[in-house]
Amino acid sequence: MSVQGLSPHGLNLKQFSQEFRAKTGPALLSSLDACVRCGVCAESCHYYQADPRPEHVPAYRAEAVRRILRTQDPWTRWFPGWFGAEPRRGRSDEEMLRALGDVIFGTCTQCRRCTLSCPMGVDTGTIVRTARGVLARHGLIPEGLKATVDAHLKTGNNMAVSREDFLDTLQWMEEQLQSDTGDPQARIPVNKQGARVLYTLNPREVKYFPLTILAAAKILYAAQEDWTFSTEAWDGTNYGLFSGEDDKAAEIARRLEAEAVRLGVQEVVMTECGHGYRSFRWEGPNWLGHPYPFRVRSFVELMAEYLDSGRIKLNPAANSLPVTYHDPCNLARNGGIIEEPRFLLSRAVREFREMTPNGKDNYCCGGGGGMLAMTEYSQRRLQAGQAKARQIAASGARVVVTSCHNCVDQLNELNRHYQLKVKVHNLCEIVADALVLAKAQRPAASGAAAQDA
Amino acid sequence: MPTIQFGDVQVEVDEDGFVQDPKQWTEDLARYLAKQEEGLDNLTEDHWKVIHYLRDYYQQFGIAPMIRKLCKDTGFDLKYIYELFPSGPAKGACKLAGLPKPTGCV
Repeated sequence: MSVQGLSPHGLNLKQFSQEFRAKTGPALLSSLDACVRCGVCAESCHYYQADPRPEHVPAYRAEAVRRILRTQDPWTRWFPGWFGAEPRRGRSDEEMLRALGDVIFGTCTQCRRCTLSCPMGVDTGTIVRTARGVLARHGLIPEGLKATVDAHLKTGNNMAVSREDFLDTLQWMEEQLQSDTGDPQARIPVNKQGARVLYTLNPREVKYFPLTILAAAKILYAAQEDWTFSTEAWDGTNYGLFSGEDDKAAEIARRLEAEAVRLGVQEVVMTECGHGYRSFRWEGPNWLGHPYPFRVRSFVELMAEYLDSGRIKLNPAANSLPVTYHDPCNLARNGGIIEEPRFLLSRAVREFREMTPNGKDNYCCGGGGGMLAMTEYSQRRLQAGQAKARQIAASGARVVVTSCHNCVDQLNELNRHYQLKVKVHNLCEIVADALVLAKAQRPAASGAAAQDA
Repeated sequence: MPTIQFGDVQVEVDEDGFVQDPKQWTEDLARYLAKQEEGLDNLTEDHWKVIHYLRDYYQQFGIAPMIRKLCKDTGFDLKYIYELFPSGPAKGACKLAGLPKPTGCV
């Protein structure tokens, strides 16, 4: 075993450290240096809440990265442990980097709750993401996460849905929309040049759960929006956020930007997808190095604007069971969308109950950071969801609403695993069921109501 | 990689319970998974219709079908598919049919 030997993936400790440091900007640099090891972050983490081991303290994850970086300091060569460098313990470079990979891919959802609790503002999620990116570039990345990024780049969406299948599904939902509204002219527009809004989807809606497409279309219909889908760029997700690969993340954002420009839309509206919103709205301009020539909003913000301006009207009698709201980390803490879903729910349901804590202080559901795509960490993911499961149970709500398709999947798993006996729905389904259509047609049961039946 | 002991054979599954080698799939395994993963004590004729459709489609195209195709070709409506498989088309039906875990947010 040679200390300097290249691993089969072509990555050794020296290269890792060099590539990591090359990606380090001022914010990350201060996060690397500022930790005072106070341990306040421990209690903030949902992994630690579920299983209070030292490995589940956020500072441990960041420190795992620092310990690898310190192996390259000249004075740490002989007594690495004394200087806070990762001791070799008979391992090859690749084995040490694999161990790091297990920590940064397998025990952090990049939810950034620890950053809010940190007196120094250490951004562990970003340290983790940067380290993921270096490992991923050299093939040290969980297979399911890699496959999801690759599918997006290769086929234009992360579930490899063909153009024909996409259009077939939209047509199916359009027929349903016409039947539900009683309006044979109701449309789901596609590739409409000059539409005001370009609406995007999460591929799981198209492939398996199309009722959220119907719900969104119904709300856009009721608001008489001028909107369109694009067959060229309809997937609003970006797993490059989770793999840490900035070049791939930028390419995914660039395609959506280019299509929005080509269609000449004023606004790109992201489906209820937490990481997709964060990626395109907040990270994309940084990845691309320029601002967009159009506005980007979450559908949650657009729905709230419709309601506020009277473009849609809601009847809370349609949703009579007690409802709670799970804040997706990437919409609330990392996106600032906190009041809008509550405003919508205050008009769409009879009884709303908050979980504690909520908003920017919410607990991650455990499914963030690309965890659903990394099957090797599924048992940890379910365990890490314990804090959220306890919150849901304590709320006494019968319906859990959220604005993230990924959270919906994890919450459904928590529901089964912890026997919570709740229903889980996207916000747009609840809003669609409460819609009062202007022409006084009574909408047939769809969305949430159909799934609950 | 976890395994499930099933009769005389050991079947490799991932941590989400998806069968790793589609060749190891049998109807008995589907019944076992139905009980373990979906809490279904028995599989009806309609369950089997969906499971066999998924397997045939996967063998032909190497990918799971869209829910649109599943509904159209089996004649079942969407609501009924969700009722048949409480964990949904991916984590319920596809898992029982021995298909691999899909990419993305499922």
